[in-house]
Formats: sequence, C-alpha cells, structure tokens
Amino acid sequence: MMMLLPLAHILTPLENLLRDVLRWLGPHGTIGLPWAWSIVALTVIVRLLLVPLTVKQIHSMQNLQRHAPQMKEIQKKYKTDKKRQQEELMKFYRENNINPASSCLPLLAQFPVFISLYLVLKHFPHLPGDNLEWLGLWNITDKASQGWGPVLVAVYALSQLASSYFMSATAEKSQRIMLLILPIAFIPFIINFKVGLVLYWMTTNLWTVGQGLVTRRLMPRPAAPEKRSSRTPPKEVAAPAPALAPEPAPAAAAPGQPRKVKRKKQNRGARR
Amino acid sequence: MRLALRAPAFVGMGLVHAWRWSFGLLSRGSCKYHPTCSQYALDALKDYGLVRGSILAGWRLLRCNPWSRGGVDYARDQRLFR
Repeated sequence: MMMLLPLAHILTPLENLLRDVLRWLGPHGTIGLPWAWSIVALTVIVRLLLVPLTVKQIHSMQNLQRHAPQMKEIQKKYKTDKKRQQEELMKFYRENNINPASSCLPLLAQFPVFISLYLVLKHFPHLPGDNLEWLGLWNITDKASQGWGPVLVAVYALSQLASSYFMSATAEKSQRIMLLILPIAFIPFIINFKVGLVLYWMTTNLWTVGQGLVTRRLMPRPAAPEKRSSRTPPKEVAAPAPALAPEPAPAAAAPGQPRKVKRKKQNRGARR
Repeated sequence: MRLALRAPAFVGMGLVHAWRWSFGLLSRGSCKYHPTCSQYALDALKDYGLVRGSILAGWRLLRCNPWSRGGVDYARDQRLFR
C-alpha cells in the first residue's frame, strides 16, 4: 500500500483534470447536465478522444485477417512449441509489415483514468442538495451493493462480456472461457465500488460494443470470406463425420453388416 | 544479504503480478511483442533490479503502442544498460 501512495500523487493532475471536466459538464458548469449524466458524458469524451486510435486498430485488424491463413499454418507448424510459435508469428508480422492490432499502452492508459475517477468520486465535487441520482434508481456516490446497485452491476457484467467479445481478436477456446468467467469473477470487487465508477465502466463497455457493431458494418469485407474459408472446411469435415456415423448405423443394420459399425465405433473411441 | 538487496525488485514484481491478476486478465494475450510486456517487466526486474528494470519495462510499454511494429524482444537483449 505504501508503494501505491506515490502512484496516487502521480495521478493528481489527471484527477484534477477529470474533476474540472466533470464540473464543466455538471449542474453548476457550462453544460449543466445532472451529475450522473456528466459521468456518462465524460466517458464518451474519453472514448471520442480514443477514436483515432481505434481506427488505427481496425486497420491492423483487417490486415491481420488478410493474412489469417498463413498465420494458421505457422500455428499448426509449431503446435507443440508455444514459445517458438509465438516467435515465428512475430517474425511473420515483421516480414509482412503487419502491425498487430492490440498493444499494451492503450490498455494500460485506461488504468490511471479509472483510478483517478475513483479518487474523484471519493471527494465528489457536488454541493449539498445536488441531485446525485441516475434514472431515479441509483445514487452515484453510493456503494454499488446498496439498493438497486446489484442490478447495475449485473448490467455492467453483461456489458463487460459483450465488449470483451468484440475486443478479442483471437478465438482461442481457453481465452473465450476466460472472457465468460471474468466479468462474473469481478463482481465481488465491483460491488464495493461507487455507483458512479460502475457507471463509467459500463458506459465505456457499451461504447466498445457500439463501436464494434459499427465497424463490423463499415468494414469492407474482402478479408472476412477468406477467414471463413480457412475456418469452415475443418468444421464441415468434422461436423458430418459424427453426424454421418450414427446415420449409417441403422441403414447398415438392414443390409446386415454390423461389423463395420462396430469397428467405426471402436475407432472413434480410440481417437478420443 | 543478497536477498535484502533484491527486495526492491520483488516489490516491483509484486506490482506486475497485481496488474496481471486484475486488469491484466481483461487483456490477456494482447501484446504485440513476445514476451508480453508484463513478462518483459518481470524478466527485467529480476535481471536488472528495481530501478533499471523499471526503466526498461517503462520503455517497453511506451514502445508497445499502436504505431510500433512489435516483434520478438527479450529483456536480456536490451542495449540500454550494458
């Protein structure tokens, strides 16, 4: 905890900036929104500032999709050696001038904003008698565990799930499962935060979802079919196999060749 | 004695692990470098101590932006501290 104190001091300028923007948006400022909506507006402003970055990321994502088949091949080639696989992929990126979509800095940059907003909400700049409610159900300075708070946390968890879905570039199974579990695992922590913070987090997630939907629509799709074609064949091969296997069984039973059916079953068992 | 000298680096490594098990979980596998930034930070802190390790990790994080190209980059291959 002692180590985190200087960290809080580093964040003071950002905290002041967020507080100033909130005051400007808030009921006593130029814009004059209710406090809760000024948090929503603040989130939207932060995300709007990040839009150029997102455009850049979408471009690199398209580029990645264009090279998806070759990358799949590399992944297959070094299936057993994860480290080597990663290294070869990175080399491939370099050779083909691919800029991987995700990078750590933008993700990490959200962290200070989050902590600063947490500090702002701790000493929220409202005057006595101000309306702190959102939709008449939640008070932004209350803990999310009070009153209708858990409902909001549930909506947050859903929004987190949806936004993770749009943000994940890879379709690795283990990662998908993590994405499903995480929002639920976070609930015990989130529920102790102030409603205002949950509101921020929820808004930013919903923005991600909206952005994902819009870009999916706007994205030119030359890359998408390519990606599909590389994916679907194994599925088509894999899917009919178990579907066909039980079907011939009754059909084959009539002509009277039960042995083959048995063998098939044995084989399948062995493969599994 | 040696352990005492390395204690500050352990604190830094603890912070990296704290990141990994909180917000880092949300962004798993989304680093354009190999090893990932957090792994790089752990390696750098272990090999070069808190101060130099933090500088190396910070520099790596700054490089891990949407305008860089990523790639294979180990802490032991750094050229800042020789």
